[in-house]
Amino acid sequence: MKMRSPVVAAVTIAVGLIVLLGYFLPSLLVQNLRALLINWGVSLAGVAALIGILNLLAVHWRKANDKGNRNFYSLLLLLAFSVTFAAGMWLTPADPGFQHVITSIQIPVETSLMALLAITLGYAGLRLLQRRKGIMGILFVIGAIVFILFSSGFLPVLQQLPLVGGVASLVNRLPVAGARGILLGVAIGSMMTGLRIFLGADRPYNG
Amino acid sequence: MQLDFLWTLTGFILTLLIFSYLFGDHFLFRIVAYLFVGVMAGYAAVLLIYQAILPRLVYPLLEGGALQTLQAVIPLALGALLLTKLTPRFSRLGNLSMGYLVGVGAAVLTGGAVVGTLTSQVQAATVGFDLQAAAMVGRNPAGALAEASLFLLGTISALIYFQFSVRDKRQKAERPPLLEAVATIGKVFIAITLGAIYAGVFAAALTALIDRLDFVTEFIFNIVF
Repeated sequence: MKMRSPVVAAVTIAVGLIVLLGYFLPSLLVQNLRALLINWGVSLAGVAALIGILNLLAVHWRKANDKGNRNFYSLLLLLAFSVTFAAGMWLTPADPGFQHVITSIQIPVETSLMALLAITLGYAGLRLLQRRKGIMGILFVIGAIVFILFSSGFLPVLQQLPLVGGVASLVNRLPVAGARGILLGVAIGSMMTGLRIFLGADRPYNG
Repeated sequence: MQLDFLWTLTGFILTLLIFSYLFGDHFLFRIVAYLFVGVMAGYAAVLLIYQAILPRLVYPLLEGGALQTLQAVIPLALGALLLTKLTPRFSRLGNLSMGYLVGVGAAVLTGGAVVGTLTSQVQAATVGFDLQAAAMVGRNPAGALAEASLFLLGTISALIYFQFSVRDKRQKAERPPLLEAVATIGKVFIAITLGAIYAGVFAAALTALIDRLDFVTEFIFNIVF
């Protein structure tokens, strides 16, 4: 029953290299092959996402049927899933009624969670000011206050002032430098992760 | 009209249940959290079936020509193998499909990082040094050079802040003194950037809070009056 790992590694590396070459080689053959391989990958990602949902249901099914410690929240989740799934399969996702019901649940919950974030973020900011009194913490809090003031309409007013205006514009652009460094770090990290997979050093598919 | 009221009432109740989290993680909040996950999982499953599985894997087999059928057979077989991941006994059979997904994903990630981020961000970091372009838009070249240098220093120092390398896992991750000094400058830039990100997220969350409070008060006002 064992799938030979070298075969899997060879498929991974070959598919990965062809798709990667497609970014840099203008050859029509490579481009078409890359498009086909990515297309299959998208289909497979759809199946993988469905398997993820099935796994979620299996976990909650076990929790709901655990005789020693039955979880009623899991039962609620399974019920909500079943009703939504049955309605969606029957009506299709394009049905305006089905979409209305989904958005009537989705929008209030997501917006309310986002609203809760304002309170928890404010509280976390105050806690940070109390607990971390280092340079990083102080700069973070000063930065946060300055940018909250800027985004609440102070920036255009400051920019009108003769000497302060230039400084305010520079401070407003300053986060770009750090963000660019973080982005470059993420990109280099992603590239290294990809290269480790192509070299066979990392094999996250074996399991 | 009555159906609209029913869904507005649902939104009102869901909002209050979510806000009950302010008094702690209790059963009311958990009810709405599990309900939401269930509904969204069901919706995602329906979308996946109607927009990915059926048009990409099933319809080409039933309605397509020979080439389309051939093109659908391979992902369908890989998808079937991937389903074995649900059972621990046969899960190794799904490794081939996982390998395929990882290969495509790693290539897209690497290519995207090089083409989409590395080249564009390096270009953006160096474009400020084009003093002729700065002079053409009426900027003082010395000021433009100073600003571009400051931004480049911020970018490089922030990048160096994340650099740690050790030869041995037991060894403590330490930077050479010069890099440590540059990394300290990077720390300042990262703190400012994170402060700006915090401010942006806080402003967005505050907008959502105002929207919800407005919705709740309007609903109560409509019921009472």
